Amino acid sequence: MKTTLLIASDSVRALLHQRILLGLMLIALALIGIFSAVLITEQKAITRSAIDESEANSSDSDSGSGNAAAKGPEDVSKASPQTGGRKLSKEDQQKLAASMDQLSSVLQGAFYQVASFGGSLVSLFIFSTAVTSEIRKGTIRITLTKPVSRIQYLLGKYLGGVAVMAAYAIIASAAMILFARIGKIEMSPAMRFAPWLMFCRQLMLGSLAMLLSLYVHPFLASVLAFFAGNGLYHAPNPLFYIFPGYSVFNIFGQILMGTLVSGKDVLVLSIYAVDFVILMLIFALWRFRTKELV
Amino acid sequence: MPAIRIENLCKTYRGAWKKKSRVNAVQNVSLEVKEGEIFGFLGPNGAGKTTTILLALDLLRPTSGSASIFDRPAGDAQVRRRLGYLPESVTLHDYRSGRGLLEFYAALTGIPQGTRARRIEELLKLLKLDEAADRPVTKYSKGMLQRLGFAQALLHEPDLVILDEPTSSLDPVGRKEFREILLELKRQGKTVFISSHILSEVESVCDRVAILVRGELVRIGTLQELSAPKSFKLVVRGVREALLGALSATKAEVSIAQGETTIKCPDEATRASVEKLLSEHQAVIERTEVETQSLEDIFFSAIESRKET
Repeated sequence: MKTTLLIASDSVRALLHQRILLGLMLIALALIGIFSAVLITEQKAITRSAIDESEANSSDSDSGSGNAAAKGPEDVSKASPQTGGRKLSKEDQQKLAASMDQLSSVLQGAFYQVASFGGSLVSLFIFSTAVTSEIRKGTIRITLTKPVSRIQYLLGKYLGGVAVMAAYAIIASAAMILFARIGKIEMSPAMRFAPWLMFCRQLMLGSLAMLLSLYVHPFLASVLAFFAGNGLYHAPNPLFYIFPGYSVFNIFGQILMGTLVSGKDVLVLSIYAVDFVILMLIFALWRFRTKELV
Repeated sequence: MPAIRIENLCKTYRGAWKKKSRVNAVQNVSLEVKEGEIFGFLGPNGAGKTTTILLALDLLRPTSGSASIFDRPAGDAQVRRRLGYLPESVTLHDYRSGRGLLEFYAALTGIPQGTRARRIEELLKLLKLDEAADRPVTKYSKGMLQRLGFAQALLHEPDLVILDEPTSSLDPVGRKEFREILLELKRQGKTVFISSHILSEVESVCDRVAILVRGELVRIGTLQELSAPKSFKLVVRGVREALLGALSATKAEVSIAQGETTIKCPDEATRASVEKLLSEHQAVIERTEVETQSLEDIFFSAIESRKET
């Protein structure tokens, strides 16, 4: 175990040397900036259009029926800072709130999608090159003539990747929270489990990419692993059960609808991810055991 | 128990599509390296030296045959604790300093924390890397990388050190120091296996050598065993005109200087025929000088013999 952890920490050190975490944090900051700017701009646009609509309606009713007084003062809401001090009717306010909620859900969903896609690319890069880059450079030859078994080596490399992806999940979560604070929006209930499910999906992708990289070029392994999901198939098509079910980890729909992802579902998905990763690692170990290291 | 035992080792690389692209990198190689000896593994570029080493170290899989280290498979963790290896082109993790790298390998080989720092300092000093120890490996020259690679191979005081082209990037001073370290290892009873094509280096330190040509082992033994007489020089008294005439018909070269007649025979057959003529003409052989082959001669004759077959 000690040897495996030594290899894992060395692997993390190598990735840190490539400034991968710094890159991830910069990406996260860029995402926060871009999405916050979009959110603020869209909020202003929605508010302006709501006011314009409200003003148009009120002038229509003033000139048209002449019964504006009949509406009474209770139909006009208090001026809010959001509306720039202008007064909106209750109905318009409800419409505005609904539009804002929709905007917030769409942006949260998009933020999640971008963070998840970025994480998948990082995961594919890390895991597909973890072992193969050392074989290509020749550094593996010295390491494997030390008292390090091939099993310890491969597991160490995988754990190193897991540590970096965990750091990515933490950075992505912090970025999502920061985005919500900046935009003063309420987090969608499904977002509670979003980083964990994203992390599980990335580990699944990574384990498959690592296995395939022991057979083919890392780039091809990454492409194959990415497109190997069963999203194109539906039960009872046998391919649905053979290919990895990445799509079930995508909760974009739930974020958009503002629905909750149940703890039970998350547990089942986590077990599925762990099983998948273990299976891929067994296959990878089987291959690596006899792989020529040149 | 031999330090290394290689039996009928073969390695064939097959092309993915074409049968013609089959390459027999190592063919039926068998050898034993005894404990405590310095063994030279020679061969021209592409002879299969590195492939043989990688097969012995379990980094490549043989097509057939087997290799063992201290009578166990090289993949065995116990064996690896007794083994140090310096690869041909030293590529080390470039995100560490020289000292950091040695600390990592020391941890992997299980050197106790208490003795780790002392051992690392000792090696850095021995290999003249102490001043550059905290510099990143990326800033090291080729020679420094080779020294660092050598340091990691010696770090855990292994019983067997396998060195693949260990001095290819070293300057003459570095090579001399390297030879001294090898001799010190021998004094300590360690086994050293060196693959090289720098013949003078091998000649000066090795107890036994093996020569590999096109994947086949063509010679193995001590230098004395391998060096056949190159030529014979006979210093003769009482040479007459008639004898000189008879000698001119042979392959021998006759030279007369300061009243001394010297007859140089290029091979054993000529020597025999010259000695017969000398006896017939009643000339006396005062002394015979035998010129033996150097390692370079052995090496080239091995390559030539392989070309002929």
